[in-house]
Amino acid sequence: MTRHVLAWLDERLDLSGVLAFLAEKSVPRHRHSVWYYMGGITLFLVGVQVATGVLLLLYYRPSAGEAYESVQFIVSQVEFGWLIRNIHSWSANLLILMAFVHLFSTLFLRSYRKPRELTWITGVLLLFVMMGFGFSGYLLPWNELAFFATKVGTGIAGAVPVVGDFMVRFLRGGDDVTGATLTRFYGIHVAILPAIMTVLLGVHLLLIQRQGMSLPLSVEKREKAGEKIPEDPFFPNYVLHDVMWWYVALAVLAALALFLPWELGKKADAFAAVPAGIRPEWYFLAMFQLLKLIPSHVFGLEGEMLGVVGFTVAAMLLVIVPFIDRRAADGRPSPIVLGAGIAGLVFLIVFTIYGYFAA
Amino acid sequence: MATSPRNGRLALLLLTVALLVGAATASAQPAAVTACENCHRDQRDTRLATPAHDFAGSDVHRDRGFTCVDCHGGNPNEPDKVKAKAPATGFKGKPAGQQVIAVCSRCHSDGALMRKFAPKQRIDQAAEYATSVHGQRLAKGDTNVATCISCHGAHGVRLVTDAKAPVYVLNVATTCSRCHSDGERMKSYKLPDGSPLPTDQRAKYERSVHHAAMVKRNDLSAPTCNDCHGNHGAAPPGVGAIANVCGTCHTVFATKFALSTHSQIFDRSCVECHSNHEIAQPTDALLGTDKAALCVTCHSDGDNGLKAAAAMRGEIEKLKAAIGHSQELLAAAENAGMEMGDQQLALREAGNQLTLARTEMHAFDPKPVNDVLQAGLAITAKVDADGEEALHEVSYRRTGLAVSLGAILLVVIALRLKIRSLG
Repeated sequence: MTRHVLAWLDERLDLSGVLAFLAEKSVPRHRHSVWYYMGGITLFLVGVQVATGVLLLLYYRPSAGEAYESVQFIVSQVEFGWLIRNIHSWSANLLILMAFVHLFSTLFLRSYRKPRELTWITGVLLLFVMMGFGFSGYLLPWNELAFFATKVGTGIAGAVPVVGDFMVRFLRGGDDVTGATLTRFYGIHVAILPAIMTVLLGVHLLLIQRQGMSLPLSVEKREKAGEKIPEDPFFPNYVLHDVMWWYVALAVLAALALFLPWELGKKADAFAAVPAGIRPEWYFLAMFQLLKLIPSHVFGLEGEMLGVVGFTVAAMLLVIVPFIDRRAADGRPSPIVLGAGIAGLVFLIVFTIYGYFAA
Repeated sequence: MATSPRNGRLALLLLTVALLVGAATASAQPAAVTACENCHRDQRDTRLATPAHDFAGSDVHRDRGFTCVDCHGGNPNEPDKVKAKAPATGFKGKPAGQQVIAVCSRCHSDGALMRKFAPKQRIDQAAEYATSVHGQRLAKGDTNVATCISCHGAHGVRLVTDAKAPVYVLNVATTCSRCHSDGERMKSYKLPDGSPLPTDQRAKYERSVHHAAMVKRNDLSAPTCNDCHGNHGAAPPGVGAIANVCGTCHTVFATKFALSTHSQIFDRSCVECHSNHEIAQPTDALLGTDKAALCVTCHSDGDNGLKAAAAMRGEIEKLKAAIGHSQELLAAAENAGMEMGDQQLALREAGNQLTLARTEMHAFDPKPVNDVLQAGLAITAKVDADGEEALHEVSYRRTGLAVSLGAILLVVIALRLKIRSLG
């Protein structure tokens, strides 16, 4: 029966070519191989997000009057609603963490070099999209902390030169954070960003399958010197490894969901006093803390504007790293990019911890 | 040159006409500096200079165009002080006693005039004052008592809403106590029973729950001296009026108390249990049969009053304990990650029932108190059941997690072995 179905599909989709490709595909094995799995774990967490997000959609109501109550209903009345919501929240955070780990491992292994520039670019854009998911999803429970953090977060967009005010109004759907903002963020979270992510992720995965895994410079040098680099078959060896890591991630998620449940807090109240310790999610904390430290005016320019422009330039530089690092493209070490990468990583870690305790 | 009586009467008539015309054309424009102020400001004697400085500084009357002559008479345009204060100018000097009341009420009891400056302001202050202890004593010739200027000041008079005014709500106790805490000034006054008039009212008030509400919680609606005693008609509330005075704010308590037997027995109603100036934060300890309770001061073992007190206190303590237990249960469930928002809300309602029982208690009838408390206990019982269920659910979830993690571990081990077998 299965043979017949496969034969039927093969006749129409030419599956034999794909299956032959997968059967022949191999993954190099070396001391840096473990970093290959980071992308797989990130992909698994994306799947968890989609699955739990769809389940939450069944009960969530995106309006200022009902959002908080609907989340309260999900975690207290819906069968396993608490588990779905907690896994969605924790998975979102682990997803961004793993995406950062994946990005920095790719950066330090110079895996972006020719011909994988587009894989890198789609990967960086995917990270930005995931951060967008985090920012828009944070407001959806419509609780006090999220409300005021979104107020601060969207307010920062006002520092962008020329289009700042327009961006604030565009993000908020008005002058202030209101029910209109919630509806807008909901639309961005469940329709716009998923559509963008589907395209980017599709291209990213296609390129990985088409081009295979990149060899680190040191391993590539050995290979060029004539050394035979051992390889594992993609199927089943690499896939089984991936699945094993997915199970580990699932266990971590389940334990976090039960022992550190995501608090719902108090319902948002625009007239309430701003609670102490308002801060964004941890993945924006480093930037938030740096903005707080920049003086109000630097060389006659607004400090906050300077910070926002600086972050935008840094993000653009990150996207075009493959085109900046010509040395890596030629197979030579590139200490400037390595140094900048290490500096960026240290900045993120130190300022995130600083921001956490400073708040 | 001596002034003939006829010329004097003419001058007085002209002055009166001038004053009336001035008042009729009154505007909110501040008054110009007069010759009186110019002269008084430079006097070395502070008794003469201070009024001019105070009046020039900030004065509600000056801001509305009134000058020295409106109260003191005289000619404001005459630089020569003798001529300025000549009898023909209607100069009155420094009003004292009944003269103060007359000077102030000349405008403040004039409805037509007051409508131009403060249309909402009452014009019965002088009439009220005449009914006050201050007014009655003044009428008998006691010039030691307070008149308008004792509380409002004479020069530099500020609106009652001005935080610097001596009659601003936060300053009333200080203003009253300037006289009432002065033992020397008060020593000649007696209470109706012949005992000396106390001078510790302010000290007691500052230890009261009302004062704490006003200065610690910034509740400007909390009562100060004039809220119970009246202001212009200031007098101690009569024996039968105390419940009405307290009931102005504590309406429900007053209604319940009116239903009780105590309302017919207590001479000083609320004050019998709560005192007057030094009203402490009431606690449940006031009710009951132990030594700290007030009931035992009148009731004795075995009488119906003490039985009722014991029953009401016992039921109140039962609900308090039940609420405490429910709070602990909910805290444990919430710490374990359970959402207990609805139960917290229900528990607040149980707290409301406790408050309601404490209110009902003022009728001193155990039946309605018990009814309310039973409603509260029914809520806590339901909250407890939900709390227990939540903790049971936590235990169930942890077991589920342990089983799931065990299964995941087995799969991971199996995958690892399989990968190893693949070489």
